Amino acid sequence: MVRGRAAVLLKQFNEILVCPLSKQPLRLCEESNALISDALGVSYPIVDGIPCLVPTDGKLIETPNEDDGDADAAAASYSKNTDDHERAPVNPGKETLET
Amino acid sequence: MKPSSSSLFTQTIKSLSRIHSRSTRLFSTDTIDHSTTNPRIFDRSLKRRHRDRAAWLMNPHSDPLLDSVAENLLDRLQDCKRAFPKALSLGGALMPVRRLLGGRGSIETLTMMDSSLEMIKLCRASELELPDHEKIKTLYVVGDEEYLPVKEETLDLVISCLGMHWTNDLPGAMIQCRMALKPDGLFLAAILGGETLREMRIACTVAEMEREGGISPRVSPLAQVRDAGNLLTRAGFALPGVDVDEYCVRYGSAMEVVEHLRAMGETNALVQRSRLLRRDTALATAAVYQSMFGEEDGTVPATYQVIFMTGWKEHSSQQKAKRRGSATVSFDDIQRHFGTPS
Repeated sequence: MVRGRAAVLLKQFNEILVCPLSKQPLRLCEESNALISDALGVSYPIVDGIPCLVPTDGKLIETPNEDDGDADAAAASYSKNTDDHERAPVNPGKETLET
Repeated sequence: MKPSSSSLFTQTIKSLSRIHSRSTRLFSTDTIDHSTTNPRIFDRSLKRRHRDRAAWLMNPHSDPLLDSVAENLLDRLQDCKRAFPKALSLGGALMPVRRLLGGRGSIETLTMMDSSLEMIKLCRASELELPDHEKIKTLYVVGDEEYLPVKEETLDLVISCLGMHWTNDLPGAMIQCRMALKPDGLFLAAILGGETLREMRIACTVAEMEREGGISPRVSPLAQVRDAGNLLTRAGFALPGVDVDEYCVRYGSAMEVVEHLRAMGETNALVQRSRLLRRDTALATAAVYQSMFGEEDGTVPATYQVIFMTGWKEHSSQQKAKRRGSATVSFDDIQRHFGTPS
């Protein structure tokens, strides 16, 4: 019953919805009840049967393999960048060099 | 492939969360972010919370202003002979659009998208109240107009009723709508224009000058009418059409104006806004509003200028202007043939 409903939901979602950032198709993960964008490795939650596809709702998926390090590195570079912004005024040249 | 694409994600999140980190730096007026290409004018996550609040405050059965705007927008569907099986309705006045749709445009599958989960839940709950013959297959999504989660070339119609004026990148959002449309698909939007709340703008400025010796932005910068046509053309829509309507709503007092704005989720969400409002400034604003614009019967007017935009996605069947200089008949000949008007 639940599986059948999920399949119907997935079919409806896949007809129209894609990942908001990469515009690539989404995959339904029944275990975590989330829509997963494989292109970016990001999962978007489904709350109460409503998919939440706002980029800030998405979470980077952490897997035990090399993706874990990737996510850590991303988090590290994120905090480093925000530190930079706290300390010094925004420097456009420097920012583009870093990223 | 993977690291670069996930860094795209972190970058976006970074630029979004930078707005939060700035909230602690009240003294700074420099909010121009040089690291991202688009300027951040509006705090989108605050707007999301505003819309959550609006879902709790609003009257789900009627709102005179939103209803008349939605009715006016949906009226344009009746002018089109064709049917729009797949439609997307974007945030803003979602509920009035759904309530007043009444089978127009013969929509078969409707996707309703808003940035607020509460608003979407309210829409889903109110769907049950509709009469059976008006029920259509509806999909509910929480999403952001700036990052439209819709596959390319899947929709026949995009309706956005009073939501797009809160996007930081309006042309970008419209381009994404155009991408989501099938060829010959219709884009219908209503946004608030620059004359909106001009009484409020003046009253806030006068009161703040008087009480605090300076002013802060209280009313958003809004698109002017002459910009709207350019916006449609820039977003690549064919056969653009723009028209303007002004609604004047009378309220009991200036406080009721603010209450109504709250219930519509249209309160200030500028990144540069001042984060505190002193009680005496607020009261002074209300007094200025009343004395400058108040009517004899004690009511105060508030102007809402709504810009309606219509655009079509390009299709070979649409009429086009001929190439410049391709005419074979001179206007002089035409005039000679039909005679000069008396």
